[in-house]
Amino acid sequence: MLRYILMRLGHTVLVIVGISVISFVFLHLSGDPVGLILPQDATREQIETLRREMRLDDPIYLQYFTFLASALQGDLGRSIYTGEPVVGLILERMPATLELAFAALLLALVIAIPIGVLAAVKRGSWLDTISMTVALFGLSMPHFWLGIMFIMVFSVQLGWLPTSGRGTWAQLVMPSAALGLSLIALFARLTRSAMLEVLGLDYVRTARAKGLSEAMVVGKHALRNAMIPLVTVIGMEFGFLLGGAVIIETVFAWPGVGRLIVQSILDRDYPVVQAAVMMLAIIFVTVNLVVDLLYAWLDPNISFDRSK
Amino acid sequence: MSIFSRSVGAACAALTVLAGAGLAVAETKTLIVVQSAEPVGLDAMQNNLQHSLNVALNIQDRLFDPLEDGGVAPGLAASWEFPEPTKLVVTLKPGLTFHNGEPVNAEAVRFSFERLVNAELASPHAGRMAQIEAVRVIDDLTVEFTTKAPFAPILHLMSYYLPILPPVATAATEKDAFNRMPIGAGPYMVESWDRGGDVVLTAFEGYWDGAPAYDKVIFRTIPEESARVASFVTGESQIIEGVSVRSQQTIEKSGKGTLTDSMGVMPYVGLNTLAGPFADQRVRQAVNYGVNRALIKAALFNDRGMLAAGPISPRTFGADLTLEPYPYDVEKAKALLAEAGFPDGFETRLSYPTNMTQIQEQAQAIAADLEKIGVRAKLEPLDRAVMWEKYQAKEHEMFIYWWDDNPEPDRYMYSLFHSNSRDYFYDNPATDAALDLGRSTLDRDERARIYGEIDRALYEEAPWLYLYIIPETYAVAPDVTYVGRRDGFLFMRFAEPAAAN
Repeated sequence: MLRYILMRLGHTVLVIVGISVISFVFLHLSGDPVGLILPQDATREQIETLRREMRLDDPIYLQYFTFLASALQGDLGRSIYTGEPVVGLILERMPATLELAFAALLLALVIAIPIGVLAAVKRGSWLDTISMTVALFGLSMPHFWLGIMFIMVFSVQLGWLPTSGRGTWAQLVMPSAALGLSLIALFARLTRSAMLEVLGLDYVRTARAKGLSEAMVVGKHALRNAMIPLVTVIGMEFGFLLGGAVIIETVFAWPGVGRLIVQSILDRDYPVVQAAVMMLAIIFVTVNLVVDLLYAWLDPNISFDRSK
Repeated sequence: MSIFSRSVGAACAALTVLAGAGLAVAETKTLIVVQSAEPVGLDAMQNNLQHSLNVALNIQDRLFDPLEDGGVAPGLAASWEFPEPTKLVVTLKPGLTFHNGEPVNAEAVRFSFERLVNAELASPHAGRMAQIEAVRVIDDLTVEFTTKAPFAPILHLMSYYLPILPPVATAATEKDAFNRMPIGAGPYMVESWDRGGDVVLTAFEGYWDGAPAYDKVIFRTIPEESARVASFVTGESQIIEGVSVRSQQTIEKSGKGTLTDSMGVMPYVGLNTLAGPFADQRVRQAVNYGVNRALIKAALFNDRGMLAAGPISPRTFGADLTLEPYPYDVEKAKALLAEAGFPDGFETRLSYPTNMTQIQEQAQAIAADLEKIGVRAKLEPLDRAVMWEKYQAKEHEMFIYWWDDNPEPDRYMYSLFHSNSRDYFYDNPATDAALDLGRSTLDRDERARIYGEIDRALYEEAPWLYLYIIPETYAVAPDVTYVGRRDGFLFMRFAEPAAAN
């Protein structure tokens, strides 16, 4: 077990370093920020001075090592525009993003699990067919389009919900629904197939034979076991939720990290983009690591030595 | 929440109408303004981004109030004079204070200037003040600026880029903290700023021009255009910025507001005059004859905006208004090309930054016209940072770029056509000399004559394919009176509740 944990930890560190190199190189290949930072009427001397100050004339590997050295000391640099440490800028936006991600996740679970269970229990019925078709539909709709459609219908046409911003529950409804919808589809399908598998197993038959009510059999015995694959997928999907939040935050003007990233890309605020990408990556791999370890711990059937 | 508050609002409105004018209700007048990008900081000295300055300039006032014609009116200053061509003496209005109660005096002006040019602040506006050599306090309300040479644009530049700050509070606040909660002497004070969310400003009673009409102004950010327009048509916001031609029609049809233009952007096609076919003046003139700009303007911008004849915007003083834009003349263009040794035309590249308004369509239309005279331009959409990098490396042949429709001719003419400045595609000693003369002549009529000459010369020289000036459009709700400004800045003290009709 210890060996497995160490190996997974090492793996995680490697992934984070890899992401830092790739994002650093791509960002620096994407053009010279100096022309965008200085006013249009800046002189050549000013431009050259700023380039020197930002050490943009150094070879890229040197720039990367400078970045890495300070990153290891917890300093991810300062924003080009505000001069503030980027870690602070990102952390103050993180709660909004996490709130959105968790709301979407919660919404997805609350809706998806009953649908999945019902579809499995009534397998082959019209209910099964309809819910799974709708789920497939939900899975294939882009967040962006969905968000705009929500605004057009629920704000502009019906006047029920505010178009944007954060603060009230009403403002949370549309962004979390737009973000969560594809998950509803995914989770519902997953719950259905896991339930179908479990419902055919011996212990469920035993439970039925003991004379337990159908609700008890399905709700307690079957569902609990069917949840194991779902938990793993939730962990994996969390990262995708953060990614989806980048788009949803822009559509609904949600003041989270995603919007900070988009705006910083437009402004060419490299340190902010770099640090935000790194932090999302770290969250992503950490959640995956925790899920893997939990899973290994929960399910004794997994052999650590063969898993890698 | 929203339905609730809206019904309450509607009920209140109904009650007010029923009660008639006899019932005076002390209600807070709030204005919600939506921008397409969020401010990064509110200290007007610390950044140069339009969306940040839109907020910051409401908080921090300057010595002069910028006018649409490039001139200035009194701001914190009551009067000013040039006792010598290199000396500017400014007298402040007496009795003014900053939001925190500190007096607006000569010392504050000196402090503000020195803070702005201090390398430690790394202000993007420092370069704009480079001509100012020294600032001297003469008495409590009088301050003297000395420039290295006579410098005509100084008043204009100071009217935007030299915010006057309270010395004690500013010095005592760390610059990051000040960037979040700045203090000034502007019409609005910062109440709160939730990063990424709303900036809430409240009226400053002690403003020199009297307290502004709205008690509160909220600056909000909605990056996605359709969401921004939705917030406007649902009545959640009263002024929105960044309204494309497509949305303009949506708003006009909805009847929920009016559009106001601020004439912001002057796109142009720069030509590499240093090498290749465009080194020949006849080729440059040929492309000017060969593009039907009037048609592009009509088709893409609903005919809003105006055609440019030469490099100086027709609204800027100094522009030679007798110049006619190059007419669309395919035969003439072909003849000029043949004369220059390109009877069969040539291949070239047309680069453009992908972040400009409707740029893809403009580039395609321009390229299609050029094709008809034999200039086969390969379209090169580039990210604007990459675009700029290539610009600096002189790698462009034809490139679309833009300048704001600035009322001060020196601002763009010097930057774009002086060999000492950042345009790397044009180098002409005669133009250099004229531009130097233009910025060092203080007499306005004389300056207008100098820039008129430059405008004519560059019209003939044609280092650009001149295009048009297109408006930046704002939508304004029916209960608000606000006219878009030429500089595009959202000076919200000019917004007021519309008279009830």
